[in-house]
Amino acid sequence: MSAKPKVAFFEFTSCEGCQLTVVDSLQDHPELLDAVEIVQFREAISEKGEDYAIAFIEGSCSRPSDEPKLQAIRQQAAIVVALGACAHLGGINAIRNRMPLQEVREYVYGDRAEWFETYEPRPIKDVIKVDAVIPGCPIDRREFIKAVTHLLQGRMPFIPDQPLCMECKLKENICVYTRGKVCLGPITLAGCDAICPTYGDGCEGCRGLIANPNIEAMRQVMHEHGLTDEAIDAKLSMFLTNQIMALEEAG
Amino acid sequence: MSFKIMPKAALPDWVTWLKNRYRVVGPTARQGQYVFAEIASPDELVLDYPTSVLPPKKYLLPQRETLFTFDAQSMQMKANIEWEPTVILGVHTCDMHAIRLLDKVHATGYTDQHYQAHRQHTTLVSIECLSPCMEHSFCKSMGTLTVPEDYDLHLTDLGDSYGVDVGSEKGEALLQGFTAIWDPTSEDYQRINKVMAEKWPRFSYRLNFDVTELPDLLALSNNSSLWNELGDICLGCGQCTKVCPTCYCFDVRDEVDLSLTKGERTRTWDSCQIDRFATVAGGHNFRSTRALRNRHRFMRKGKYHLEAYGLIGCVGCGRCAAACLVHITPVDTFNELYRRHKKGELLEEAKQA
Amino acid sequence: MTTLLKETLKHSSIYLPTPARITAVKDLTALEKLFTIELPSGFSLNHRPGQFVQISVLGVGEAPISISSSPSRSNGSFEVCVRRVGSVTNAMHALKPGAMLGLRGPFGRGFPVERFRGKDILFVPGGLGLAPLRSLINEVLDERGKYGRVIILYGTRTPADILFRDEIAQWQQRTDIEFHMTVDRPDESWTGNVGVITTLFPKIQIHPRNMVAVVVGPPVMYRFVLMELLGKGIAEGNIWFSFERHMKCGVGKCGHCQMHHIYTCQDGPSFSYAEIKHLEEAL
Ligand SMILES: Cc1cc2nc3c(=O)[nH]c(=O)nc-3n(C[C@H](O)[C@H](O)[C@H](O)COP(=O)(O)OP(=O)(O)OC[C@H]3O[C@@H](n4cnc5c(N)ncnc54)[C@H](O)[C@@H]3O)c2cc1C
Ligand code: SF4
Ligand code: SF4
Ligand code: SF4
Ligand code: SF4
Ligand code: SF4
Ligand code: FES
Repeated sequence: MSAKPKVAFFEFTSCEGCQLTVVDSLQDHPELLDAVEIVQFREAISEKGEDYAIAFIEGSCSRPSDEPKLQAIRQQAAIVVALGACAHLGGINAIRNRMPLQEVREYVYGDRAEWFETYEPRPIKDVIKVDAVIPGCPIDRREFIKAVTHLLQGRMPFIPDQPLCMECKLKENICVYTRGKVCLGPITLAGCDAICPTYGDGCEGCRGLIANPNIEAMRQVMHEHGLTDEAIDAKLSMFLTNQIMALEEAG
Repeated sequence: MSFKIMPKAALPDWVTWLKNRYRVVGPTARQGQYVFAEIASPDELVLDYPTSVLPPKKYLLPQRETLFTFDAQSMQMKANIEWEPTVILGVHTCDMHAIRLLDKVHATGYTDQHYQAHRQHTTLVSIECLSPCMEHSFCKSMGTLTVPEDYDLHLTDLGDSYGVDVGSEKGEALLQGFTAIWDPTSEDYQRINKVMAEKWPRFSYRLNFDVTELPDLLALSNNSSLWNELGDICLGCGQCTKVCPTCYCFDVRDEVDLSLTKGERTRTWDSCQIDRFATVAGGHNFRSTRALRNRHRFMRKGKYHLEAYGLIGCVGCGRCAAACLVHITPVDTFNELYRRHKKGELLEEAKQA
Repeated sequence: MTTLLKETLKHSSIYLPTPARITAVKDLTALEKLFTIELPSGFSLNHRPGQFVQISVLGVGEAPISISSSPSRSNGSFEVCVRRVGSVTNAMHALKPGAMLGLRGPFGRGFPVERFRGKDILFVPGGLGLAPLRSLINEVLDERGKYGRVIILYGTRTPADILFRDEIAQWQQRTDIEFHMTVDRPDESWTGNVGVITTLFPKIQIHPRNMVAVVVGPPVMYRFVLMELLGKGIAEGNIWFSFERHMKCGVGKCGHCQMHHIYTCQDGPSFSYAEIKHLEEAL
């Protein structure tokens, strides 16, 4: 058999939760290690300049100095996959993007703000070309295995392009709206098996928006269910700040 | 065929007795609502449930179903025709009408052997609704408040007993050898007449016109601005179609394991309310807006199915209305179209288009 | 001889494909390849021009693909022309002669060829539309004597997108075919017509009373060509299209191809304008 495809994992601004999920899925699917060779794990960049079949990138790009590193990975990798919400959406980190940057820095770093170089956290697709995304916070381990399988088959990972409500209803969950909670399921991508509503919590939107979401109607629904405008803004900014700001810009 | 009386006290025994022979499913309580599930013990069964989240169609057309398994290397393929002798207890009459439509769909043109296998091994025990299940139902308007002839057994709640109509040999078989039933007395007949007579006034006609006018009304509605109004508020979440007893669209996907050769092809319920449902290669979307997708759904329910299968596509169960977070309902939609029609607006809009 | 479809129906599931072998693969353009697929021994396809098959690459998925060879040239094996656009079609492009596919079909009702006999036929393929139309064109050419004039108006986006160049060269040679071709965007070497497909219409004489027009191309093309044809006085029942819709099952169950109450996979994909003109969603 020909040499196993080389797979590398890189980490930028994130909590490493997705890589933990990867480690978990390796325990469930040890055969994955028969199929690929993992050459980099939890290191930001290789000095050796190896070539990879697949580079998984976890974390958002949150400072200018991340950019050349990302570009170097792009050059070395045949396929770049954004792993998890931070890499996909800018992640929780992007909450602050609606606030002026200087304020954020002063809030976080106090009078030492000028010492730290940070800027608005952004999805890595804003910096380099990304071939595929495995969404979620953290990623879903079955979906990760499926995605690797698809990549090994030579096709792009299939991520459902449907709203979460579809999956939620297939499981015959009782809608959390009927139980006094709010949920972003109608505008969020499915694929996590509706895990939050299954456990009785509303979806926070960690997998990102569906195509052409009706944000206005979603706000209206949350309003009807007792959320104030501020609470709705907060709900929509947990994971979705960058995507919604992009929609607003596009009009 | 025949008519029997079963005392309610005998129901648990009957269910247990059935469980020895069949998989028995029926309405059970879940977090304040009801879902059809396998009955592990008779006390889980709630025959006087209002409505279920998903209709019992999930036993005939499962949410996800493997069509066949394969080995891509050797090109070995094996059809996965699954069935288990199943009794569905407590199917409401609207859902019975929906199953009738599904039967027709899956036998028209090419036969879907997967559906057929489930169907042939399923025995349907329906139950008469004696009062409206919820605010959104409109079965009386749709003509689905009486049971269609396809039932195997049909139950009517007579207080301390059930009237049991035997509709088929399959239904008969569910009673064969079960002794705690008897032939009705004249008193039982009086009781059933009374129950049936009292039931009808409890239901109201919720459409402002006769259902036979619905297809023509919809035919005039192609260019109605109502569709845009619905499209503006619709979330495109697809819940309305997931819960509908007459929806049957599906998506098909292949998955393989990490050997990259062994795998299966599965189908999963899909929804015409989803953005890319009608998108073809090249990116053209034949129903590119939520407005067009709403129109398609209501046309399908009120007109297209009648033209394609001779049966109307909505049975008035109200589930879609109950599920919709933005309150889009068939009753309001159809009534509003009718109102606009009476004011001449539909014709006007059709002329302008 | 058993037809493939009969075999499919005999299977325990209508969704179960029959294995078949690719015997030849030919590059037509950067995006399109022509595959020759051999039927299992003893099978005939027995198709009508305009019908399609569901082709499986096991493990990746299934896609509806039109049969591109004519019935008389599909004994034992047939041809499909496939554009690489997504997972299944990409996977097909990676296959070499000898590789196996799964087949279901042929599905759909195809064009009513016998009703075209004795008539002038105007073929209007746009882009990849030539792939399905080639089946009908060759059927007509194989029995050339049974038809009146044969006119082909072919349009592609650029010269690089032209399919079946060898065959086109032959059509251009023949005196019993009126062939005209145009590209939307020329390159330096292009000396032919430039413009959208409708700009070819002034080049031909149309006697509408005895003419059938068959139009297959991308969705955007249909309205414009239709206006042209109606303007020339061709009867609504003599204008034929093949519709592309999203298709998952091919057998009238999955709902994806539905256009009003019609399942395109069953009642189409070929329709006359008379049949679909009252359907809001058709064109
Ligand atoms: C009757 C018919 C005949 C066709 N004939 C040919 C042909 O001769 N040659 C050819 O190259 N192509 C043909 N097509 C188009 C071909 O079926 C699609 O390009 C193919 O299904 C895309 O599958 P994929 O897995 O490669 O792409 P995907 O990765 O699934 O998706 C790529 C794009 O194709 C769309 N798509 C996916 N599945 C379908 C589907 N089943 N039908 C339509 N669009 C779909 C998606 O919405 C997406 O926009 C035909 C389609 C129909 C309906
Ligand atoms: S709980 Fe959330 S995802 Fe589930 S149906 Fe309700 S809104 Fe949709
Ligand atoms: S339900 Fe929502 S928040 Fe929860 S995992 Fe899924 S997408 Fe993320
Ligand atoms: S349930 Fe309501 S909001 Fe969701 S798709 Fe249906 S009509 Fe639209
Ligand atoms: S359209 Fe709504 S009311 Fe009608 S059958 Fe479907 S879910 Fe029930
Ligand atoms: S809609 Fe009518 S028939 Fe159906 S469950 Fe409700 S009351 Fe019964
Ligand atoms: S392709 Fe499934 S219904 Fe036509």
